[in-house]
Amino acid sequence: MRKKQCVAMLLAGGQGSRLGILTKHMAKPALPFGGKYRIIDFPLSNCSNSGIDVVGVLTQYQPLELNAYIGSGSPWDLDLTNGGVFVLPPYVKGKSGEWYRGTANAICQNIGFVEQFNPEYVLVLAGDHIYKMDYNAMLTYHIQKQADVTIAVLEVPWEETGRFGIMDTDEWGRVVKFEEKPKKAKSNKASMGVYIFTWSKLRHYLERDEADPKSSNDFGKNVIPMMLGENQGVYAYPFEGYWKDVGTVESLWESNMDLLQQPMPINLDDKRWRIYARNPGMPPHYIAPGALAANTLMTEGCEVFGEVRGSVLFAGVQVEAGAQVLDAVVMPRAKIARGAKVQRTIVAEDAVIGPGCLVGEPEGNIAVIGPGAVLAAGTVVLAGEQIEAGRQC
Amino acid sequence: MKDIMGLIYTGENDARLRELTQVRAVAALPVAGRYRVIDFPVSSMVNTGIRNVGVITQKNYHSLMDHLGSGKEWDLHGKNNRLAILPPFLTRENIGVYNGLVDALQSNANYLHRCRQEYIILTTSHFIINTDFRDMMRFHAEKDADVTLLYTNDPAMRRVTQGSESTFFTTDSNGRIVGMEIDPTTPTREHTVIEVCLLKRELLLHLVDQAAANGQHEFMRGVLQPLINDGSLHVHGYEHKGRVWRIQSVQDYFQFNMDLLDSRVRGELFSRGYPVYTKLRDDMPTRYVGEAAVTNSLVADGCVIEGKVINSVVFRGVRIAKGAAVRNSVVMQDAEVEADAELDCCILDKQAVIRSKGRLIGPPAYPIVIAKGVVI
Repeated sequence: MRKKQCVAMLLAGGQGSRLGILTKHMAKPALPFGGKYRIIDFPLSNCSNSGIDVVGVLTQYQPLELNAYIGSGSPWDLDLTNGGVFVLPPYVKGKSGEWYRGTANAICQNIGFVEQFNPEYVLVLAGDHIYKMDYNAMLTYHIQKQADVTIAVLEVPWEETGRFGIMDTDEWGRVVKFEEKPKKAKSNKASMGVYIFTWSKLRHYLERDEADPKSSNDFGKNVIPMMLGENQGVYAYPFEGYWKDVGTVESLWESNMDLLQQPMPINLDDKRWRIYARNPGMPPHYIAPGALAANTLMTEGCEVFGEVRGSVLFAGVQVEAGAQVLDAVVMPRAKIARGAKVQRTIVAEDAVIGPGCLVGEPEGNIAVIGPGAVLAAGTVVLAGEQIEAGRQC
Repeated sequence: MKDIMGLIYTGENDARLRELTQVRAVAALPVAGRYRVIDFPVSSMVNTGIRNVGVITQKNYHSLMDHLGSGKEWDLHGKNNRLAILPPFLTRENIGVYNGLVDALQSNANYLHRCRQEYIILTTSHFIINTDFRDMMRFHAEKDADVTLLYTNDPAMRRVTQGSESTFFTTDSNGRIVGMEIDPTTPTREHTVIEVCLLKRELLLHLVDQAAANGQHEFMRGVLQPLINDGSLHVHGYEHKGRVWRIQSVQDYFQFNMDLLDSRVRGELFSRGYPVYTKLRDDMPTRYVGEAAVTNSLVADGCVIEGKVINSVVFRGVRIAKGAAVRNSVVMQDAEVEADAELDCCILDKQAVIRSKGRLIGPPAYPIVIAKGVVI
């Protein structure tokens, strides 16, 4: 393998248990988002657009869908002779093998993979955030500061600091204090889960962290505090722009709804920074006489005969005549039959909402119809309810 | 399907497509919101299992090359078998301008010799079908035919365009072609040829050599018709029962796009299991802003629609501003219709712009064509 300046490691093993039935059979990074994307398209496209052309994707939980989706990496121009995208599941080494125990352990188990490219820097990414970011600009910052690790940070509203890892920095951007989910924060700079390490340093600290049986082998909890404690150069890289953690049903719904704002808070129409996705190859969508599509995001393959307002429709969705889809997220190939009303709901792939169903309510929590679930005619689903498919494995 | 290859000739006469083919071959004409004409024959071949496809180009083939690229979108980027673009070139015998399919095949005889497949499916590029050629191949083997031609009985296809080798034939009870007429004043034979031809590669090379030696340029008239007439070649006809369109004029082009507004037609042309592949652009999904009024229309990705769209086909990346109205029109990729402009029966080529309050109303039988990049 040829030497690379920087290699990306994308942590895509998370289960995303707070997403309930949506992630029962699918890893969180594989979740459909924004009409034609999956969450992992964002970090992968960012890598591709930033000129980072070696991406290791660490998978563990329900990887089938994700593996098939990544394939050879061609949608992101990552099917390369020198580099490309590599799916890295945990594997057996010598006499034993084990699952990835934490974020740091996952990288530690793949030191051999990283070493093949003999990189100076390693970019560590989370696979479950929606944002557009030039990692190359961050790398330049890291080199300028002669940092050992640089952490991308975003200023969050003060009342939300308790949900994040908060960085307290000095005037040169050096982190002086790191607190995980503080009750009383001194700063509102939250970690975005994007790190650039100088590889020799990271390797050293990974090996030491691994040797500590009490460590939970996590970057935020163990490795970064250890580096701070030993006075290593830990810097914060300020990021401005849209960033969203889609960890819950509510936040997944909300971030889809964000795309309907005018102007879009995250510009998906930027020709210089496209978000790439695997394409299902469907014809343009069709809107029938008497149908309505208002303030809506819609992609190819949809057939709309009913009324759609304030919603995001994925590829191949069918909305029959007399059906109403309001403030909903409808994932690929789902069908809303005649006379049904779907409101403030996430309808997962291949789900079928039978005729005359009443799904979701104008207020309250978001209802979820699971992948492949079939609702019989006239079913009523209340706000916040989650309906799972009848067939289970 | 290791033993069959595809070859597509894209040098048809396109004078009646006017401005639409000024900058491109018919094969590269954008259709149906996100495709090019050539996506249909290439996808049919790929869905049949063909891994080796040659595309003979003639004029203005830049946009065709740009579209096909390495053939990746059609999974035709293999090592041994792949998509080959065959541009014209100057030789001692030929100045690179083909007078017909025979010339084109003769110029590319070297390529055909190098291919290893036993059979070849030869097509032109102005017919739009989405099919699986496996049934035709089975028929060919069953009948022990030398050549099999695809035909349709669709009455809409019984039209003659003089000089374009519009071909009709009759068959005997065994399906063998017993009489053929080319460019008649009014067709008398019952079946209309769709220019898809199945035969052995070696036989094609032999027929082309022979025809060239006799100074023939055209394939139907120069090669097949004489050999059918003297009975020396077993040519069979195989019926294509699905939909078919021929894109030879602006009206044909317009009609094909409008036909797709019918859900049944769309269901047939884009049936599941037979996807039509095309070059991807990675546009965002289309945004309907506010109370955009869209009815009976096809809309591809990447558009921002704030105005009215009625009975129209809208390609990728189109902008239709507030107060604008687009009726009975075809709007190609990245075209823009500004605020309060009005269009009826128009074809807007790529990147055309209709300025604010502009008004263009074409007669339904003869849609107005606004050429690529023109600002009105």
